[in-house]
Amino acid sequence: MDVEVTGFGIICAIGNDAKAVLSSLKAGKTGISPMHYLQSVHKELPVGEVKLSNEEMKRMLGQDENTVISRTVLMGAIAIRQALEQANLNLKGKRVAVINGTTVAGMDITERFFKQIKDNDALLPLLEKHDCGSSTREMAELAGLKEAQVCTVSTACSSAVNAIILGSEMLKNNETDIVIAGGTEALSLFHLNGFNSLMILDKEQCRPFDKSRAGLNLGEGAAFVVLKASPPTPLRGEGSIVIRGYGNRCDAFHQTASSENGEGAFLAMSDALQMAGLKPEEIHYINAHGTGTPNNDASESAAIRRVFGEKIPPVSSTKGFTGHTTSASGSIETVICILALQHGFLPANLGWKEQDESCITPAPSPLPLLGSAILCNSFGFGGNDSALVIGASHGPSKGEGKHQDAEACVLAEAVINDVEQLGELREFVSAGEARRMSKLMKAATISSMKALQAAGIESPDAIITATAHGMLETSEKFLVDMLENGEETLSPTLFMQSTHNTLSSAIAIRTKCHGYNMTYSQDDESLEWALRDARRLIETDKAKTVLVGCHDEATPTFQEFYRRMGKPVPQEIYSRSIVLGTAKNA
Amino acid sequence: MEQLIKDLKLQIKNALNLEELPLEEFDENAPLFGDEGIGLDSIDILEIIVLLEKEYGIRLANPKEGKAIFQSVKTIAEYVQANRKK
Repeated sequence: MDVEVTGFGIICAIGNDAKAVLSSLKAGKTGISPMHYLQSVHKELPVGEVKLSNEEMKRMLGQDENTVISRTVLMGAIAIRQALEQANLNLKGKRVAVINGTTVAGMDITERFFKQIKDNDALLPLLEKHDCGSSTREMAELAGLKEAQVCTVSTACSSAVNAIILGSEMLKNNETDIVIAGGTEALSLFHLNGFNSLMILDKEQCRPFDKSRAGLNLGEGAAFVVLKASPPTPLRGEGSIVIRGYGNRCDAFHQTASSENGEGAFLAMSDALQMAGLKPEEIHYINAHGTGTPNNDASESAAIRRVFGEKIPPVSSTKGFTGHTTSASGSIETVICILALQHGFLPANLGWKEQDESCITPAPSPLPLLGSAILCNSFGFGGNDSALVIGASHGPSKGEGKHQDAEACVLAEAVINDVEQLGELREFVSAGEARRMSKLMKAATISSMKALQAAGIESPDAIITATAHGMLETSEKFLVDMLENGEETLSPTLFMQSTHNTLSSAIAIRTKCHGYNMTYSQDDESLEWALRDARRLIETDKAKTVLVGCHDEATPTFQEFYRRMGKPVPQEIYSRSIVLGTAKNA
Repeated sequence: MEQLIKDLKLQIKNALNLEELPLEEFDENAPLFGDEGIGLDSIDILEIIVLLEKEYGIRLANPKEGKAIFQSVKTIAEYVQANRKK
């Protein structure tokens, strides 16, 4: 089965729809500008904002201006509506899945109301706007997809590409008929200040791969594609676009830095090419992750050189147009690649002037696209590295379908549900490593290592995490510090442990697992999605052993919110790790 | 200077959660980074930059210029002495 793109929608700094984005790309017109909509003290930082206020977006969606809706949800719903309109499908009687990549979700709402919620019960329902899972559900409903099943993938800046990968896998395995996959992320004070605390934001316009590059500019936006499975045909009609291959790997190196040789990126690109059945010389354009940080661009260049050798196709990063749209960047760049295929050009790498020996040479101006296969890279914190091959025609896809002899079964399990148990941590990690870990990180590390030990496995083939609320303790500390003490002097250690994928990637680093790495955050359905993914990996022979973790925590503030809402108060800590394998490893 | 070194040791210990490093064993001349010495890393540099701004009003824009300053508690103290705003 081929996975065909039948529609797409996009909203970002260079345009509120595909037509506007295309014209900015062709004209070389950046969307990065002084901050206008985000209310931060850091006016010195240029950003790639969507040039619409929340009120304007609500009007576009036919919503009351006074309704509280997060910017992430608004942008996502707009992009999905565009994609559905273009696809023009009859969804009646069809199984429809909305797969969304986001990390920030409703953080903009939480920032605005957190202090007031503390002593105003009437505002408590706004808390529901915070989580990834509830944001995705609200977005799907606003886009007119109330009946669809929804799922949130949260692997930091590679979230949206991983959403497209998951959607494609579901179609190939006949789990659904139509997929709407992509990502959305609004600028928030939280992550602007977080990136700033890591000192990786440039005060000038970003210059990916340039010798003088000094960091990234944050951006925002959303993009979604409508996907369906279609029988392979040698020659499709004009303009037909297919997701030909993909790879999801982990660099397993550092929480916020990429390895020097770009191992994770190298493996992800290699997997994507192999699945597409293409040789490196058959790729005609690489849309690089290219954030503009010294570390990312050098590491990605090393990985590209390893895959392509001397014959590197034209490369460009489009972050100079859009800014780094974090969780949405993978789908925004997928749509840019689709526009490139349909219109026969590849966009320029804005801002590049001087060659850096440690970097590839990007395309400084737009070029004609001489071929029909594009590689699109998307990498995230924690080394969550993914890549897509997007093509205008189909090719033989490898590794399809379920194997009858492989059936997934549980090999071992371990649970940590009491803070008293956290003392066991030192059996597995040194004092130096333990000093930075939050409670949830400690619990997840212990339960993972115990389950792996019980299964007799040092390093699993894949790691999948399910978390409803993510890293609450570290996120809350960072948020409270920012709201009470202002947007200066915030802790980078707290921020780098705030993304939902922190756990999966930390365990990958610990177990040196460069395999598939995924994080689900869909309320209480998260574990179900994670287990489903693990079984799919095993039954399609992509992994022999998979570590699945379900990890959540509740801070005193969080527990108090639940008490006031009259809901069952969540446990302080809950971490369950399950090792899955085939009956043969049992 | 002696008091400043004492203060810095405590501030660094707290900011970096160095719970298992007793203050009396925290040598102000020991290298902070690398395998021989305290064994801190690049994220710790960022935390120390935050600490210097919070406690002493010193702003470092580029972590790279911090390399020479952050060799040991002693070198940090010397830098703070010369540049503190509070």
